[in-house]
Amino acid sequence: MQQRFLNPAVLADISGLELVAKTVVDGFVSGLHRSPDFGFSQEFAEYRAYAEGDDLRHVDWNVFARTERMYLKRYRGETNSQLTVMLDTSASMSYSSGEVTKLDYARYAAASLAYLAHLQRDATGVIVFDDEVRNYVSPSSRQGQLHRVLHAIDQAQPGTHTDYAKPFMHFMQFHRRRGIALVISDFFEDPDTIIKTIEPLRFRGTEVILFHIMDRQELTPKLREPMVLVDMETKATLEVSPEYASHEYRQRVNAHIDTLKTKAQAAGMDYFLLPTDRPLDAALREYLTIRVGRL
Amino acid sequence: MGFFAPLFLAGLLGVGFPIWLHLLRQHRNVPMPFSSLMFFERRIQSSVRHRRLRYLLLLALRIALIVLLALLFANPYLNRPAAGAAGARLLIVAIDNSFSMRQGDQISKAKQDALSVLGSLKPGESAQVLAFSNSIKVMNQGSSDASELRGAVAAVEAGDARSSYGELSRTLRLLAQSSKQRMEVHLFSDLQKTSMPPGFADLQLPDGAKLILHPSATGERPNWTVETVTAPARIYEPKKVRVQATIAGYQTPAAQKRVSLVAGDRVLESKTVTVPPSGRATVEFLGFDVPYGYNKAEVRVDGGDVFPNDDRYLISVERADPRKVLFVHEARDSRSPLYFRTALESAANAAFTLETATSEQSTNLSLDKYAFIVVSDVGSAPQSFQDNLNKWVRGGGSVLVALGSVTAAKSRVPIFDEAIVESRYAARSAERFLSSDQWEGVKFFQVIRFEPGKSTVLAKLGDGTPVLAEKQVGEGRAVVFASTFDNVANDFPLHASFIPFVEETAYRLAHQRDVASSFSVGGLIELRAAQDRATSIEVIDPQGKRALSLDQATRAETFQLPSEGYFEIRRSNGRQQMVAVNADRRESNLSPIDKETLELWQNTGQGSESNADAKPGESDTKPWSFWWYVLFVLFLVSVTESLVGSRFIERDETEELVNRKEAA
Repeated sequence: MQQRFLNPAVLADISGLELVAKTVVDGFVSGLHRSPDFGFSQEFAEYRAYAEGDDLRHVDWNVFARTERMYLKRYRGETNSQLTVMLDTSASMSYSSGEVTKLDYARYAAASLAYLAHLQRDATGVIVFDDEVRNYVSPSSRQGQLHRVLHAIDQAQPGTHTDYAKPFMHFMQFHRRRGIALVISDFFEDPDTIIKTIEPLRFRGTEVILFHIMDRQELTPKLREPMVLVDMETKATLEVSPEYASHEYRQRVNAHIDTLKTKAQAAGMDYFLLPTDRPLDAALREYLTIRVGRL
Repeated sequence: MGFFAPLFLAGLLGVGFPIWLHLLRQHRNVPMPFSSLMFFERRIQSSVRHRRLRYLLLLALRIALIVLLALLFANPYLNRPAAGAAGARLLIVAIDNSFSMRQGDQISKAKQDALSVLGSLKPGESAQVLAFSNSIKVMNQGSSDASELRGAVAAVEAGDARSSYGELSRTLRLLAQSSKQRMEVHLFSDLQKTSMPPGFADLQLPDGAKLILHPSATGERPNWTVETVTAPARIYEPKKVRVQATIAGYQTPAAQKRVSLVAGDRVLESKTVTVPPSGRATVEFLGFDVPYGYNKAEVRVDGGDVFPNDDRYLISVERADPRKVLFVHEARDSRSPLYFRTALESAANAAFTLETATSEQSTNLSLDKYAFIVVSDVGSAPQSFQDNLNKWVRGGGSVLVALGSVTAAKSRVPIFDEAIVESRYAARSAERFLSSDQWEGVKFFQVIRFEPGKSTVLAKLGDGTPVLAEKQVGEGRAVVFASTFDNVANDFPLHASFIPFVEETAYRLAHQRDVASSFSVGGLIELRAAQDRATSIEVIDPQGKRALSLDQATRAETFQLPSEGYFEIRRSNGRQQMVAVNADRRESNLSPIDKETLELWQNTGQGSESNADAKPGESDTKPWSFWWYVLFVLFLVSVTESLVGSRFIERDETEELVNRKEAA
């Protein structure tokens, strides 16, 4: 049941983004949390992944039995983090080879993460950008923040081409506290340029997680005959043969992903590839893992 | 290579369909949006160059399918060497050994010519020697061995049979079918016109056969011959015997010829006859005084022509005494023996004498000396006679029973042993008389109706009443005549048909067939009945040798007379028969076939001299259609196309399935 609700294709049928987020997160959390029965009197606040040195008494063994992962129960007052979701809405994000566009998937992921962060009392904000900052909701944990964030995400529309410099400059202007920055994009840019643009965030102690949204057709394209392709951002056309798409293109994409991953990790950033046909819990789990490890 | 229906090759245009399907239809120029082209290179841009033949193998198979289909309908053929035209030449040396080849040294000349032709045999070629008359004798199998071929030619001897070019042509056709070689036929013959078959189609030579004629004689050759001799095979009264001979002349002027009747070495009589130009004359000899037993006789015509072998005509005659016939009748019936005797002794060659006896006189008669016995409406014969007669018939004797008003009182027919139904009379009011189809004009007033039973009814009256029937009784034979011979119950004795009836009945009951005094070469003599195989029969040929092998002597039912002369047939019961055999007199007509007919005959084979100058490979080839092979290849290609096509479809589906699994 959990997997069904985390499937992007199923989520695409749910109209409200908040409902999508709640469905994803509640389904995810219900799998993690069943009953706080460890004798704590404090109000339950959140789960976090087990880390070496943690008290084993706080491990939720039910969750371990279900997921074979160890999670600790955390309680109110124990967390104080700030999450900024940077959502790329460039034209290339509107590509889809199936039922869900990359932008939709990115929105689901962003909303779900924002919702999860809200549940954990984290201050949550969002920056919607393409070559310009299209929308900005500063991180906050006050009442109604979740609705503002979700609304901003919901209103995101495909724009033009991607330019990382401007939004990140913008982000750095308003970003004062250390926290977590989630960059959700298809990263159709030179990896050096991406890393160099985002890297300054790390210098301020912000944990950066790159969610690389890719369509399956972008990863392993299959053409049965030569085709004329139109670049959705530049509108350039190119005739592509099936041989090239099935061999050389894949090599280049893989090389791009490897380079981006390597350079991101070298810059202290986390990189996570999210094909749009992959369930969203992977993104949530990744977020939790990173968050536990860093905070 | 060619096509029987080349218009169907237009179907080759259909090749464009799979090309269009694979090349053009698959290519779409509709641009497809893609997220980014940053991983594609500009160098890939020529749509024509990179327009790939998808599923090359499938395309090739589909093109092949259409090409083969068009070829199949066009019915392709290859020019193959015609049967008998390819490969080495088979030389056929056909030597005529019929009776006419005995004229002069024709046979030796033909053999000499044949040897010279065989001398031209090239290495690798084979030859076969045939001796032909009315049948074909293969002297050797196809061989290139010169000594074997010389031996085969030397073994050819002139015979007495009639030649048949139709039979030769039929054999050549059979040989061509079996040898499959180009056939060259060398015919050594006197080319008699009378040897031609009735229909020219029978002369058809095999395809590709070349006929080369080697006439052994040329020009007109006048010849007289004794064409036929009519003489009885058995003589009972030599002074009454008449012998008729026909003398025929072919391409002859009018001439007087001396004709002699010779018995053994003794000239019985000579006559001079005038034979018209190329005509016939008849000579009749009266009286044929020869000793008892079989006699060799002949009719001779004086020579003076080129072919003396046909100047005599052999006949065989047997001198014997007439056989006795017993006629038993009631004492008061004196008319029946009178009519029967008159009829029996009126036959041309009276072979029987009649002895009569009343029923009372028949008590102590010895029946063994009679050829057959007639029981004419006898009512009360002595019991001893009845017993003797029954025993005699069952032991192999023959009896003719005539039924009349006396016999009608009995319940069964004597000896014949079938039930008597009634005595049937022609009524004065309704039917004045009864008649039979067999004897025209004969009126029957009274007929004794009997049950035919197992007998064979030979004659019936108009109303279906059996009037003549035959039945096997024991080893003997009984014939019933359902009326009398007294000119009372019928008027049969007054009709001319009564004499041959009595004569034929007498010969049948006496087991005495009217054999011929001479036969032709190639004729068949009956040796025994099919069921009579236990006994051995010997046939001695004119040279005094046994003509039958041991197996044939016990099994053969007929014997074909192979040559002229006197053949002796010795049967197991001690009876002997002498058969005179003469060559077919059509061989005496030495007129050659006209030139035009010979040329036509030569032209029936494609390789005859008329087209000998044709270029090699033109007339020697024959179209060979191989559509069946095309159909087979078409079947293979269509099966392969189906397999390959389904494999591609399956692969595509598998790829999609894998993609979905990866996505999941």
